Amino acid sequence: MSRILLKNKLDDCIAAWRSAGFSVLAPVRRSDLSRFDEVERSADMALDLVLPERTIKDHFFPQTEPLIKYKIKKHDIDSQEMLPPDMKRVFFGVRPCDASGLAIDDPLFGWDYKDEYWFKRRDNAVIVTIACTASDDFCMCTSVKLDPDSTKGSDVMLRPLQNGNGWQVEALTDRGNALLGPVASFLQEGSEAPAPVASVPVRFDVDRVMEWLADPASFESHFWKEISLRCIGCGSCTFLCPTCHCFDIQDEGDTFSGIRRKNWDSCSFAMFTMHTSGHNPRNTQSTRWRQRIMHKFNYYRGKFGVNSCSGCGRCTRQCPVDMGITETLQAITNLPK
Amino acid sequence: MGIQEQYISEAAGLLASGAVKLVIGYCEGSTPDRRRPVFVRTPAEAERLMLDGACVANLSTYLITEGLLSDGKSVAVFLKPDGIRSINILAAEAQINPEQVVIFGFDIENGQARTLAGRKASDFTSVVEAAKAAGLSADLQKESERLVQMSAEERFEYWKEQFSKCIKCYACRQVCPMCYCRRCIVDVNQPQWVNTSSHTLGNFEWNIVRAFHLAGRCVACGGCDRSCPVNIPLRLINHRMAKEVLDAFDYYAGESTDQKPVLATFRQDDPETFIL
Repeated sequence: MSRILLKNKLDDCIAAWRSAGFSVLAPVRRSDLSRFDEVERSADMALDLVLPERTIKDHFFPQTEPLIKYKIKKHDIDSQEMLPPDMKRVFFGVRPCDASGLAIDDPLFGWDYKDEYWFKRRDNAVIVTIACTASDDFCMCTSVKLDPDSTKGSDVMLRPLQNGNGWQVEALTDRGNALLGPVASFLQEGSEAPAPVASVPVRFDVDRVMEWLADPASFESHFWKEISLRCIGCGSCTFLCPTCHCFDIQDEGDTFSGIRRKNWDSCSFAMFTMHTSGHNPRNTQSTRWRQRIMHKFNYYRGKFGVNSCSGCGRCTRQCPVDMGITETLQAITNLPK
Repeated sequence: MGIQEQYISEAAGLLASGAVKLVIGYCEGSTPDRRRPVFVRTPAEAERLMLDGACVANLSTYLITEGLLSDGKSVAVFLKPDGIRSINILAAEAQINPEQVVIFGFDIENGQARTLAGRKASDFTSVVEAAKAAGLSADLQKESERLVQMSAEERFEYWKEQFSKCIKCYACRQVCPMCYCRRCIVDVNQPQWVNTSSHTLGNFEWNIVRAFHLAGRCVACGGCDRSCPVNIPLRLINHRMAKEVLDAFDYYAGESTDQKPVLATFRQDDPETFIL
């Protein structure tokens, strides 16, 4: 026996969470784009998607966010932090790869400096994940040692029932348990079997990849030039990635007052490493693509013990020239030893 | 011999004789319905080339890669009529020497690729003339008519909603053969002319700058629209710009390698309806 949430009770849950002070966010299709956004009823949710086009990262690390307001006066400077408000939020219907992405980024945002903008949002969010029963040609969670039902980063895991009527419910954390409190009366005990999880083929050998990347000789390999020839240098893969976290600080205003903002930045852009002198240490697209792969599968794990990829596959799914992490890691896997 | 085999054989021949140093074409992609750009340097590699109805990308964008044509050697590239028009514009704007570009022309009809005869940009004059005679896309015209019918406020709301999705990944810029500036105005930061933030104002600024710079230059290859990861209907903006210059100046972008850019020339009888 396990706890079951039937689909026809979902609206009761949403109402209960909302009256407990939570906003409920779920995958939606709005203005021809699938993404997480606030919903008031289950009919607004697009739970049939393999994966929304945008990640939930956007709701923790927005593409642009104000940090401080400043005013420069004759003898002093006024500055005021612009921290996000306290927001109790339920993210319903997250995919395991997106939930894992948050957990992968937590140590980065809390390492030498605790990024309050990230954690203020993280600390008040409850992640309700739905295990995947479907995948597409680009999903690659199993290649990075995650699964279509990985619990990493999730507070509650829902497993779709075989009969399609609802989900098996499992609280994974205290926060998850607490979330189920207000909806306890809408859950029931049941013995319905969960549907089998999606079968996602392993597309590359990540151990082999890490071994090759860690070899100093690989850094200057001709491989990087060949594999990245067609890269056009846009930021689509980085901006759709659930773990990419680089940003730029910009002051918008004039000499006397303005707002300092934190804006997404991308290692794919030539400007990313441009020095004031005009020298650019990563002056070709191949060195930028190398950085992206090295960062994800070598440097990040060196610092935080985990690869900075959760296998969602958006980098390939959306790439204008059909590149992405999968192709490069497959090619590394197939390099002669 | 099918079109694919014919071009593979010609590509291998051109590479073997040294007539071209590189062939830019299409090969198998990560799924059966995808084709990806490929760079072929040896006759043996030419076997990887594919040509069919799934080859939609405008590959002329790779010709503006810094340094690619600076050694004076030739490059062969697979191009549809829109790509051939891009070559004409790039030549007219003095960005490439069209003599260095060998064109493997093709068009897609009913999902099938068919050969277009010719090798140099100037060989395709009749193809471009036929494209102009056929007029701007009727499908796009229909789609954009819906926007034209809106009130100014409704239309503003529509674009505000669409631009609010923009994440400034600049895929639309990077994929576009017309965006060859070594430093785009949005990357000029002393001073910072355009907000880098992708809030609604910054997104409006970027998308309007992009649209203006493409007026009379866009060939409607659809690359930006296909590349946009957040599905902004950029085709509608481009279409409107193309329609403006066609209606006002009978100007169709990319007609020839010496066509004067529409915003850099004038005629005595140009309409002056907007001048107060």
